[in-house]
Amino acid sequence: MMNSGISNNSMSSSSVPGNNNSNNAQSPGLKTYFKTPEGRYKLQYEKTHPAGLLHYAHGKTVTQVTLAHLKDKPAHAQPQSSSSFGVSSGVRSAAARFLGGNGSKTLSFVGGNGGGKSVGGLSGRVGSFGVSSSSNSVGNSNFDGKGTYLVFNVGDAIFISDLNSRDKDPIKSIHFSNSNPVCHAFDPDAKEGHDLLIGLNSGDVYSVSLRQQLQDVGKKLIGAQHYNKDGVSKDGSADPSFPIIKDQTQFSVSHARYSKNPIARWHICQGSINSIAISNDGAYIATVGRDGYLRVFDYKNEQLICGGKSYYGALLCCAWSMDGKYILTGGEDDLVQVWSMEERKVVAWGEGHNSWVSGVAFDSYWSAPNSDATDENVVYRFGSVGQDTQLLLWDLEMDEIAVPMRRPPGGSPTFSTGSQSSHWDNACPVGTLQPAPSMRDIPKISPLVTHRVHTEPLSGLTFTHESVLTVCREGHIKIWMRPGFGENQSSNSDSLLSTSLKEKTSLSGKTLSSSYKQFFIETVG
Amino acid sequence: MGATGSKLEKALGDQFPEGERYFGLENFGNTCYCNSVLQALYFCVPFREQLLEYYTNNKSPPEAEENLLTCLAELFSQISSQKKKTGVIAPRRFVQRVRKQNELFRGYMHQDAHEFLNFLLNELVDILEKESHAAKSLAASSPEKVSNGTCNGHANGVKKEPLVTWVHKNFQGILTNETRCLRCETVTARDETFFDLSLDIEQNSSITSCLKNFSSTETLNAEDKFFCDKCCSLQEAQKRMKIKKPPHILVIHLKRFKYMEQLGRYKKLSYRVVFPLELKLSNTTENTDSEYSLFAVVVHVGSGPNHGHYVSLVKSHNHWLFFDDENAEIIDESAVQTFFGSAQEYSSNTDHGYILFYESLAASKS
Repeated sequence: MMNSGISNNSMSSSSVPGNNNSNNAQSPGLKTYFKTPEGRYKLQYEKTHPAGLLHYAHGKTVTQVTLAHLKDKPAHAQPQSSSSFGVSSGVRSAAARFLGGNGSKTLSFVGGNGGGKSVGGLSGRVGSFGVSSSSNSVGNSNFDGKGTYLVFNVGDAIFISDLNSRDKDPIKSIHFSNSNPVCHAFDPDAKEGHDLLIGLNSGDVYSVSLRQQLQDVGKKLIGAQHYNKDGVSKDGSADPSFPIIKDQTQFSVSHARYSKNPIARWHICQGSINSIAISNDGAYIATVGRDGYLRVFDYKNEQLICGGKSYYGALLCCAWSMDGKYILTGGEDDLVQVWSMEERKVVAWGEGHNSWVSGVAFDSYWSAPNSDATDENVVYRFGSVGQDTQLLLWDLEMDEIAVPMRRPPGGSPTFSTGSQSSHWDNACPVGTLQPAPSMRDIPKISPLVTHRVHTEPLSGLTFTHESVLTVCREGHIKIWMRPGFGENQSSNSDSLLSTSLKEKTSLSGKTLSSSYKQFFIETVG
Repeated sequence: MGATGSKLEKALGDQFPEGERYFGLENFGNTCYCNSVLQALYFCVPFREQLLEYYTNNKSPPEAEENLLTCLAELFSQISSQKKKTGVIAPRRFVQRVRKQNELFRGYMHQDAHEFLNFLLNELVDILEKESHAAKSLAASSPEKVSNGTCNGHANGVKKEPLVTWVHKNFQGILTNETRCLRCETVTARDETFFDLSLDIEQNSSITSCLKNFSSTETLNAEDKFFCDKCCSLQEAQKRMKIKKPPHILVIHLKRFKYMEQLGRYKKLSYRVVFPLELKLSNTTENTDSEYSLFAVVVHVGSGPNHGHYVSLVKSHNHWLFFDDENAEIIDESAVQTFFGSAQEYSSNTDHGYILFYESLAASKS
């Protein structure tokens, strides 16, 4: 019932664009560039999935994108895997960096419910663009594999596109018959070549070789290691490797009784975990979730370090700065929150989104134009995307932020970035979660750029050396070239877009035998 | 019906307290607007408790004349005193009373749930005030009997003249309309009470953003100047609405039905407007950051304003339930987000959150 796209004649005609069965992502009213102090960002390519796929009822799964850079090296043969499915809490988020020494270790998080949507984490740094291989090798067994790829999920499928090709359509699709993929991650250095991790709504987790998938012509996952088959239930009773969770409200870690994946279970909190980000040095893990708390853990010591509550509502996304000093979060209070690891508290709120903030990321490739920046005066650039269809860019300059006057006990009321802030350490011992701050206590920052990217709510963004990638919930990806990049590749992006439409791959028009997990209430009209 | 009832009972398990009842309401021909609002009000616990208390206190009077208040109280008491945990109840007397009282709701036409809620709350207040006056004119009787023993003590500087009934205590908030004359800089503040906030909506926005727009500063100029009492003339001015006293139960009405002048009729806006399960009001005069929790949503189903259907989502003891006239079922919390609306104009999804009910977490009731 929800799948039938009944058009209703009683609706009046309107000038608002956005018919979602067309792949003409170039809707009127959307600009193909935006300006920043350093120059124009231009829409270079768009990537999407074949037409005809979109008519599943909206909102069942949310598209996320993972950037994958394949180096020039031969692939290894991989063992086969079984495929039994268990229904349980879904996997919501894959971290962009795998943990542990041997490539295929996974972390299993216990979510509170098997909820409908997933908001995954896009974090961590991905290598800059390699020289692109051309994309006319669809499902080629002689596939040389070098290049940078976009891995994204739509409905029951994972699509893979060549980032540097002009082709709008993906070069590969992998379909899952039992549950929808909701998150993925890539680690170029994963041992045994299992560099791509895919999590399903059912709780199943697969690790595969991306190169091997690209070499295969089929539409099924091949050579996969299948983990978490029985998933995880609310009290953790499904997997006999782990003890039952005694107190749902308490953080607890248990290790598997047998040597197998998952090797450990971290029970974080009640309710779902919406995103996870691992610090660049691998020392810390940040999680955000339904309960509105950001939590930061020491990975090795399995210890909660610090964290705090949103202004209100769930948090949906999080990301680390390259130096590990700041964490961005975004959520249902429409705010972009800047958390300081030194201060162990929120140091700024970014106001500018008109709806929930669904993706945040630091731009680690950006450097301040007149770099007289000393260590105490570092400027960070970051971006955020929201369900308001907007991309916002921000500059975070710690000594520019006006901190409201507080009355610190005996201390100086002025804020200094480099301070060790020892009185804060005394005030909040390790593992303390801060309550929601009051509106007047947190300094506000305003966006540098506000740009409406799409007609659909956005779900994520990623910075690369040459571009900013934005993705919307329904699986359309836009690639915005930085000033000074991409100009010689194409002078006219409009002609580029129209030609790619002609080059339909064999993927389009396929019938889907999907078995979506239903989260919808049938309504009687 | 019976099957769904027992299915719900099984689903409820032992997660719900003994005393809680989950009953579908029979539809008497296009009365879903009424049923959906009744479910939201029934699961508005402070309101229900006070209504049941009223019912207990007013059971016996022989002179008791049937009115909307007594009919509603009777209905709620009928539901809460059912032996079984689940089932279906016919709100026959209540619906008859509504039709008798207001010709607007008399026909079998499709009605607006927000208009109905407004009518109902105002009607209840009128009845309570009349009863209070009647009691006062009797002089001897104690005020306790009149309005449930909760009418005394005026909350947060509410002006003395009107009686503060328990309906007011639950739903009434105060807005202050600040107008600053741009010539003499005098600020004129005018307070007005409200039972709900009607918000203009935009595509792909949030309730937070709609509330912000509601309180944004508006400049009165050109045709629309402000008469300044001090300047004794029409002047340019800046106007903004702030919430002076946040209500205990915050009812937010989304203006999904918009009059299209060029069409000469109403049109439904299916915009995607996200509403969080927790909300804070930051457009208050005192910056109190009062926190609210969502406990009910009246949903309009359909693509046009003149036909369609109403259903409701309610939260009871940390679980969400879905009520569609006589049917009731448990749903996952994450299913609430399927009622946000459509990011695209033409969509098969026509179930849209229309009236939101939030309860304050801070203000202690009782």
